[in-house]
Amino acid sequence: MFANFLGKSQTRRKFLGSASAFAGFSALSSALPGRALAQGEPIKIGFLAPLTGPVAGWGKPGLDGVQIWAEWVNAAGGINVGGESRMFEFISYDNEYDPSKARTGATKLIQEDGVKFIMMLGGDTWAGVQPVADRTGMLFSTLLNSDLGPETTTLLAPAESHPVYNVTGVEWMAENYPDLKTAVMCAQEDALGLPSVATYLAAFEAAGIEMLEDPILFDWETTDFAPIVTRMLSSDPDIVSLDTCYPDYVHPIMEQLFQQGYSGQVISCTADFYGQIIEKTSVEFVEGMIFQFPDFDDPAMNQDFINFQNPNKFWEVYNERYPGQWGAVSWEYASIMDIWSAAAVEAGSVEPDDVLSTLLASGTGKHAFGDASWWGEDLFGVDHTLLGNWPVVRIEGGKARIKEFRSVPAWYDKHGEILKKHMRAYGQMPDQR
Amino acid sequence: MRSVSGRVGIWLLLAAVLVLLPHALSFSQQEILVFLTINILLVASYRLLTLTGEWSLGHAVIMGVGAYASALYTKEFGIFVPVSMVLGACTAALVAMILSYPLFRMKGFYFLIGSFAAGEIIRLFWNRFREPFGGPKGIKRIDPMPDFDILVWQFDFFEPVSYYYFSAVVVGASLWLMWRIERSPVGLTFHAVHWQDKLAEATGVNVRAYRTLAFVVASGFAGLSGALLAHYIGAVNPNIFDLELMVFVLTWTIIGGTATIYGPVIGCIALTIVNEIVLREFGLEQMRPFVYGLLMIVSVLFLPKGLESLVQKGLARIASSGLDRDMGRERETPGS
Repeated sequence: MFANFLGKSQTRRKFLGSASAFAGFSALSSALPGRALAQGEPIKIGFLAPLTGPVAGWGKPGLDGVQIWAEWVNAAGGINVGGESRMFEFISYDNEYDPSKARTGATKLIQEDGVKFIMMLGGDTWAGVQPVADRTGMLFSTLLNSDLGPETTTLLAPAESHPVYNVTGVEWMAENYPDLKTAVMCAQEDALGLPSVATYLAAFEAAGIEMLEDPILFDWETTDFAPIVTRMLSSDPDIVSLDTCYPDYVHPIMEQLFQQGYSGQVISCTADFYGQIIEKTSVEFVEGMIFQFPDFDDPAMNQDFINFQNPNKFWEVYNERYPGQWGAVSWEYASIMDIWSAAAVEAGSVEPDDVLSTLLASGTGKHAFGDASWWGEDLFGVDHTLLGNWPVVRIEGGKARIKEFRSVPAWYDKHGEILKKHMRAYGQMPDQR
Repeated sequence: MRSVSGRVGIWLLLAAVLVLLPHALSFSQQEILVFLTINILLVASYRLLTLTGEWSLGHAVIMGVGAYASALYTKEFGIFVPVSMVLGACTAALVAMILSYPLFRMKGFYFLIGSFAAGEIIRLFWNRFREPFGGPKGIKRIDPMPDFDILVWQFDFFEPVSYYYFSAVVVGASLWLMWRIERSPVGLTFHAVHWQDKLAEATGVNVRAYRTLAFVVASGFAGLSGALLAHYIGAVNPNIFDLELMVFVLTWTIIGGTATIYGPVIGCIALTIVNEIVLREFGLEQMRPFVYGLLMIVSVLFLPKGLESLVQKGLARIASSGLDRDMGRERETPGS
């Protein structure tokens, strides 16, 4: 109010302008000569994700990974933006997976820290941030496509096409293990679980796998999984799907499956910290588990089409610093930064509008797992998902191994209508969200 | 006379501090101030409920009832936001009234567990029914408080300062109402129901009716705090009003104390500062569960009557030193 009294109404231009001014105190340093390029002020990037609480497993490992990325890029002299060498500085804010704290974090990162881009996990927290994005025009990224909609004009999903890539795991499993014909599924009933349920149902239907009963949806405060597992196993399925359960759920469910004597196939979106699952069960029990997130020391990651820089070394450094902490998101935020920084170099600018328009201009992008296209209008109402190949991973001898990279768009071209049918049934189409 | 003018002076000073406070803070701290103001209403309403001796585990969900109701009134029926906030509060009170029939057949620990179960049932309703509650994703793009101008002042409620002033007025009025209720015969009866329920019953007090009344009124204020939250962040979902928030409310209440209306408020302010300023500034977010647990244990061991007991001791010391000064002056004045 007093700001308005002084004639400083918070328009988008002012909001970003004041942030730039705040960051501009260090602009003097850019006048110092560099060896090859003038040294510009550091580019500040926001990291707004849960670092504590039950969803921290999809925040903290990503921050650790992105810090390694920044060290490497900065050690190489930063990136060339408009003739200046620019280093990176990451500023994190723990949103505790709470929309109100995410809103506070977003305004802090933009208004006080002067960041040029904010990476989020997304999900429930995006709802609190969306008004800030609308007002400021800041460029955000999410790992969850289900946050996208026709109105999310400054939100991108450059790393994950969750949950659509889950179809590759089911397709590969059906082709390689045709005897597996029946399945059951459980998931937490939330913004992450439901679209994934719809995707697995579509993938099972496309692969001719029968669901023995409706997916079991549990509350996200559930801690006792014995009754859920008992109910799933009562129909004697060939396959148990863990959907996109949080790491805090995958581990106890796997323990219960082990304790209740299950010996069939398990398929899951993630198997974060699977070494701990093996410790709690056995190598034999976890053998053959299919999921979607590879270890980056896998030889398959060295193929020519992989765009992630030096994946084996990244894995090695990460595991030296954070032993046993490698998970689904450890590389994802770093891969988003690869894509963002390439666009910033091409645009010659780090301003959100310029980077966004450069990113989307060609309709294609260099995804970590190969060249991909901006996609999603059909399913999310906006082409802001970078969709291409995705790996199918299987645990063999206690170690995750990439079995194959499969094309998600190819599956969608064949079975897209089935996916839309299930998405609609679970209220996940843009007009329903 | 001097004490009345002193009291007015203190209130004016407090009002001035509250008006100027946001301008001494950064933008993100102003955001935190808004949420703190809303949480103060939530925790103060919880204390009103505890006056009759019953502790609930469903208060955060009742806050959510107000948030969902107010959001739906504006989205579905186009009701003006301030009116929908009041209606949201009334809906929370109404839901509490309905819940009171089964819940007040229980007392003490059984009431505590019963209130938790009732709250979870409401949360499951929100989760299960996508129409009208939005299911697990909840309700998004809730209408914000409409902007308006008064003379040269423009109130843009996206800005935390404007929303802080609005919520501070609402919360201030609510705290005054709760204070008046506690000081009224009804409030005294609440205390009687808590400390001497058999005696109160013997004197003709309908104990269950008064417990219900406290539950309903407290729920109305909790619902109002939920409505304030919903129209600020623009989104609600079932996870916001989960057991974790309830644990925070309990922690604020226990650490602050429940003997006075300002006890839980102090607890809420102190722990918000610890959480949002101290832990974040020093990068100790990972330590939050440990710090909260430690504070709880320390509080129970060394400050069983809460932080408010420190304030009470301070006030007593000031009062006694003032009394000593007055007596000394009287002794020095001949013929007094």
